[in-house]
Amino acid sequence: MNHSTRRIRYVLKRLLQAVPIVFAIVVMNFFLLHMAEGDAVDVLAGEAGSATPEYMAELRAKFGLDQPLPVQLAVYLKNVITFDLGYSFRHEMPVSQLIIDRLIPTGLLMVSTILLAVGFGILLGLVAATGLNTWRDTAISIFALITYATPLFWVGLMLIVVFSLNLGWFPTSGMEDLMAFHDNFWDRAWDIAHHLVLPTITLSLFYLALYTRLMRASMLEQYGQDYVTTARAKGVTEQRIVFVHVLRNALLPVVTMAGVQVGALIGGSVIVESVFAWPGLGMLAFEALFARDLNLLLGIFLLSALLVVAVNLVVDIIYSSLDPRIEVG
Amino acid sequence: MRLKTVLAAVVCGMALGLASGAAMAQKSGGNLVFLVQPEPPSMASYLSTSGPIGLVAPKIYEGLFQYDKDLNIVPNLAESYEVSADGKTVTFNLRKGVTWHDGKPFTSADVQFTVMEVLSKVHPRGPNSFREVTSIDTPDEHTAIFNLANAAPYMLRALSAYESPMVPKHLLEGQDVRSADLANNPVGTGPFKFVEWKKGQYIRMEKNENYWKEGLPYLDRIVGRFIPDASTRAAAMENGEVMYGAYGAISNIDAVRLRDTDGFSVTTDGYAMINPVSLVEFNTTTAPFDNPAIRKAISLALDRKFLIENIWFGYGKPATSALSSNFAATGLYKEPMPNYVANADVEAAKKILDDAGITADADGVRAKAVLDLIPYGEDWRRAGEYMKQALGEIGIQVELRYEDVPTWLKRIYHNYDFAMNVNYFYQLPDPVLGVHRHYGTDQIRKGTHFVNSSRYSNEKLDALLAAGAQEADATQRSAIYADIQKILADDMPVVNLFEMQFLTVYNDKFKDHDVSALGAYGSFERAWIDE
Amino acid sequence: MRDFWQRFSRNRSAVLGLGIIFLIIVMALSAPLFFPGDPFGLAGKSMSPPGESGFLLGSDSLGRDVAAGIAHGAKTSLLIGLIATIVAVLIGVIMGALAGYYGGIIDDLLMRTTEMFQTIPSFVFAILLVAIMKPSIESIVIAIAVVSWPAVARLVRGEFLSFRNREFVQACHTIGMSDVRIMLGEILPNCLSPIIVIGSLMVATAILIESGLAFLGLGDPNIMSWGFQIGAGRTLLRSAWWVCTFPGIAILLTVLAINLVGEGLNDALNPRLRERAS
Repeated sequence: MNHSTRRIRYVLKRLLQAVPIVFAIVVMNFFLLHMAEGDAVDVLAGEAGSATPEYMAELRAKFGLDQPLPVQLAVYLKNVITFDLGYSFRHEMPVSQLIIDRLIPTGLLMVSTILLAVGFGILLGLVAATGLNTWRDTAISIFALITYATPLFWVGLMLIVVFSLNLGWFPTSGMEDLMAFHDNFWDRAWDIAHHLVLPTITLSLFYLALYTRLMRASMLEQYGQDYVTTARAKGVTEQRIVFVHVLRNALLPVVTMAGVQVGALIGGSVIVESVFAWPGLGMLAFEALFARDLNLLLGIFLLSALLVVAVNLVVDIIYSSLDPRIEVG
Repeated sequence: MRLKTVLAAVVCGMALGLASGAAMAQKSGGNLVFLVQPEPPSMASYLSTSGPIGLVAPKIYEGLFQYDKDLNIVPNLAESYEVSADGKTVTFNLRKGVTWHDGKPFTSADVQFTVMEVLSKVHPRGPNSFREVTSIDTPDEHTAIFNLANAAPYMLRALSAYESPMVPKHLLEGQDVRSADLANNPVGTGPFKFVEWKKGQYIRMEKNENYWKEGLPYLDRIVGRFIPDASTRAAAMENGEVMYGAYGAISNIDAVRLRDTDGFSVTTDGYAMINPVSLVEFNTTTAPFDNPAIRKAISLALDRKFLIENIWFGYGKPATSALSSNFAATGLYKEPMPNYVANADVEAAKKILDDAGITADADGVRAKAVLDLIPYGEDWRRAGEYMKQALGEIGIQVELRYEDVPTWLKRIYHNYDFAMNVNYFYQLPDPVLGVHRHYGTDQIRKGTHFVNSSRYSNEKLDALLAAGAQEADATQRSAIYADIQKILADDMPVVNLFEMQFLTVYNDKFKDHDVSALGAYGSFERAWIDE
Repeated sequence: MRDFWQRFSRNRSAVLGLGIIFLIIVMALSAPLFFPGDPFGLAGKSMSPPGESGFLLGSDSLGRDVAAGIAHGAKTSLLIGLIATIVAVLIGVIMGALAGYYGGIIDDLLMRTTEMFQTIPSFVFAILLVAIMKPSIESIVIAIAVVSWPAVARLVRGEFLSFRNREFVQACHTIGMSDVRIMLGEILPNCLSPIIVIGSLMVATAILIESGLAFLGLGDPNIMSWGFQIGAGRTLLRSAWWVCTFPGIAILLTVLAINLVGEGLNDALNPRLRERAS
């Protein structure tokens, strides 16, 4: 069997394995969500001010919430199989539409966060590892830990106070200037990037510690490898060893981790989205929960599951092609 | 006073067909971003009285009337009206030349359809407001005659854009009103047209160029923005990104801070129509709160001033009766009732408990109970934390419970699985609309929200409530409500805490936004930005 | 043991961390002594800045003593972290051990279950669980444990997988030792160190999750904790910075200290993999 057919078989096998997981996620979340007291109709009626029980019963019938749970589940599963995520009765919109609208903002925030956190993490980890057990090393690991341990909303609010209110460099919140009406794509992109800065910094500070630590450890592990000793024996300069040999190999686990996290981060960060009014999936899920908009919440969980499965698979494949020692299958 | 004159001038000006308010030098143009909190579920103000819908929809839809700050009627879509001598026929003469945003003319058929098919059927309060309306005649396109079974003077208080929006018949007829597309794509006659709703971000509206009020609105565009976090909302206001936030969009603590900052102001105007009162409901059917003594003791043990000063930062007025003191204007509220105190009277509270034989055990505990808190924000949690301490003083050991909205609604109004509940109610411009629902036996309606969840039932009171709703004579009516208040002060099925004052925080550049009794639930038609 | 301590104490920041944790524990235990009475008690003038009106760290909007809250809250926050971690480690060890030891279909089943939990965004999942179970200290602990165990399970599985074919395990089989005894008595002690390291870090994460939940209004309203203080103080941040800043610093110090100790443990317990990331 040659290499590429083996790889295809491997991908297929993994995809097949994913099917029951995704199925189980849907079923588990379905029952979990239905354990919550109250339903979408209670919320809508409560907000409306007053509604008679008859009116509420009528709404439940319209939403299909009067059906027994197994029937509701069967209907949902049937829809999912045809790639239909159902309808959000609260927003009066298809769930897929709601989710797609939030994908771009979520993606922007997550990708920029990961890039910033990974970039700085690699840099700091590198500096720390090359100066092992010096003041640089200690200072970096303490710095990383402090950024990790400071409550996110506190960082966010302080950044707003300093950079929006006092310095006036960035807007406080939102995704774009509502009154700008940019007709040029680049103007708009610039505007959005401008709004993206503070939430990205806030969120990446949280992940910075992880990448710094991972990078540092990974560097040190590579230092211990035979090829470094050999290179040293051959008289290769220390700089060359670090930047040509060690760095390249040390990046591997960092990149893997980043890949896995992009998938896991699809749920967004409820706190950062809330503080900066960033229209991401995290807030959407949060609001859906408290509005008992269960179709929407299930849709978000399902999407998140699919993404994690897909990203994990891609990471494994990339990993194995970067490092031929790792066998797939 | 000044605003009243302006309003009168505007009305006169329009009657003469002139552009209004030359003296005020309003500037046309400009864009306004205001806070809408939280994001509304839809824009169907004909289906829901949800607060955030009220902030958006009245910019798009209009009512037959507007109301000035003293609650006087200001003709709007109805140019004038006559009430017959027996009060059973009300004729509205509709304004000519008004069109919907899609260009179709607004006619008496729309009024008939809105009231009979929409508001009377699917609006939360409509069936109550229009309960006496048997039919509406439309002799011509600009006349609507309401035929009533009995006189219903309160109906004329319920014709604002917020309470009874006029909706286009041609876009709803023949459909299920509750699921019609109009909910997300509103088409009204109002000063602003709906443009776009970006979920999670904003609702954008723009000037209705064909608005029937000559020269209005002044603003070119208005945008309602959603910002989930209270501190960020305040920061956005400070940064000039938003100019207006009402109904507590800016928390009281930040409002107080902004009030003392140049360029921002705070007002409590614009809430005359809703008349909110905070309160504690008791489960009067089970121990320990089936005993009126303990309920009275709680009313005496709570320091209303403390709540107002420390949690609402000075905005509010201690409650003195089951009725808000705002009803003094209509003569229904006369004087403070017994068992209501501004500052806690712990000794009096203890005495009532002792006299009733509710004594303390070895640990000083007289009773134990769970206190549920309305899940509408941090302030209510603080109030609960204070009450836990205050009630501990008189030997009532309290455990707090704070659940999410659906769980709470289900617990209080469906399962009745509670002992004490902190809540607030809108008393609205008339007790029939806002207060009766709290106490009447007919208002014990399992599964219906914001009615008599205390399940208090008193035949004598029921008779008085019924009489109060029917009585046309002001003096008689006042006497009936005096009796009602006495009974309620003695039985205390609900302890009113304080008359709430909601806050509107705005940028000083933003002018003439709260020109009616409805405040933020108004239209912004005369609002302008001074830049 | 002495050997371990020697290695551990060589790491100065880890010793510093241990010192901070010790102080926090002392503070938690002595809270009733220095701040007798209910930390929710209305102790005096509201919103007093630190040092004024007899409040060392100021008071909040109801006049509650922030310092008293921090002292009493220390116990809650540490206990939440500790209990949630113990529960998560227990679940994780059981799942991971069974999967790694038996392999095959059991491994498949258990690992797929673990993956299932890992695909749900964990913070959103924690919010969901607390909302369903109603906010209380128990539901918060359960929610944190439920979102934390998969990482332990994966780690333990890996360890068991590598140990199960070792000679000493094979030997135990041949003398007829039961599976349970092999797992608990022979393999588990050999993989305790990575479990201790990951567990120590989970305590820190749990404290952070609790404060995040409290920020979103999902804390237990009856029990004083740092998360509660932060949730209650966040709206005052611009007017009375001390109300949520001091509990925030308490959290920061604790999380920092636990992490330092965790790294120290890692170094001390894994001399071979001295610098492997945890």
